[in-house]
Amino acid sequence: MSPIGQCIVAFIFGSTVGLLVQRSRFCNTAALRDAILFKTYRNTKALLVAMMILTFGFTLFLTFGEGNPMHFDVGLNTFAGLFIFGVGMVLAGACTVSTWVKTGEGNVGALWALIFTFVGMFLFSMVWSVNYWPPAPASMTGEPNLEAFQLGYSNAATLQEKFGIPAIFFGMIQIGVLYLIYRAIRRKEMAQEVAHMQAQAAAQPAE
Amino acid sequence: MPSEFFKKTLDPVIALSAIAVLDIFMFLIVGAWTVGGGETMMTGLIAQAIMGDELDRLPFWQLVFKPDPTYWKIYISLGMLFGAFVGAVLSNEFYIRVPRRLEEWVLITIGGLLMGIGIRLAFVCNVSTFFGMTPEMNMGGYLAMSGILAGAWVGSMIYKKILEG
Repeated sequence: MSPIGQCIVAFIFGSTVGLLVQRSRFCNTAALRDAILFKTYRNTKALLVAMMILTFGFTLFLTFGEGNPMHFDVGLNTFAGLFIFGVGMVLAGACTVSTWVKTGEGNVGALWALIFTFVGMFLFSMVWSVNYWPPAPASMTGEPNLEAFQLGYSNAATLQEKFGIPAIFFGMIQIGVLYLIYRAIRRKEMAQEVAHMQAQAAAQPAE
Repeated sequence: MPSEFFKKTLDPVIALSAIAVLDIFMFLIVGAWTVGGGETMMTGLIAQAIMGDELDRLPFWQLVFKPDPTYWKIYISLGMLFGAFVGAVLSNEFYIRVPRRLEEWVLITIGGLLMGIGIRLAFVCNVSTFFGMTPEMNMGGYLAMSGILAGAWVGSMIYKKILEG
């Protein structure tokens, strides 16, 4: 597909996502923050369901060598970067999706967060231009490079190649784990509902 | 009913399921949903517009992200902005909201900076973590998820302290 075609497809996809996120008030930050702080799971459950569907779809197509998986080496920087990101998103009260969506709703705070995300990226580019870490994509080998704290590249397709077992098999295991987390959350919610109802019943005067 | 769609809040499980199915199509056509890469390219394009050839002094913008306006990931973000604007206008939810307290401005500024630095250090954002890498069972997805959970926990503790303080 031509670059322009890709841009058009991306814009149509992004518009649909923006509309659905705006109408559902889904927030990735809330999916994590609310589960940690308030023990509420509205967004967490949606995130888990999406991940189950995606794991099925992606690993199914990877089994047949289809799809465009992300292809670059990962390592310590992946963990450290998302750690910094995780702190930032809770402080800003928005993630990469909600900054765009809330800006579209007229939220000036979200636009401010977006501007400073760009500033943060530019500051990082200045530091990278001095220490060249993590390695640039062109110098990635796919193999572990411990000197640069890099573990290489591995996904469901490489597992299939290595073990001769279809990628979808590994996918089904991951779906099972995600489902167990989802079920544990549902049970917790049901226990919360029962406790809430009992507290309400106890508060009512006896007739 | 389209009018109902703009009156009631949509169940996020339905919304995210629909997004997941569309994301599978994206994965087959160009690549999974991602935001950080497009934002980096926008940063590069803005920097180039402001700095001109001076930007060449930073090798990052030559070796990692060479500014290119036809980079498809940019248009996912612009699409999200457009889709959210349309959704907000049609449901009468568009209005200018400005943070009132200085404290909020400070937190948003620090949070935004940390998000930008974190994305570039990791090469991935939260969207790629949950909607790309992890469903592909990429090792980086698990590293990123561990990082974002630990970070969100630390961030939540700071947030709680501020709320209580």
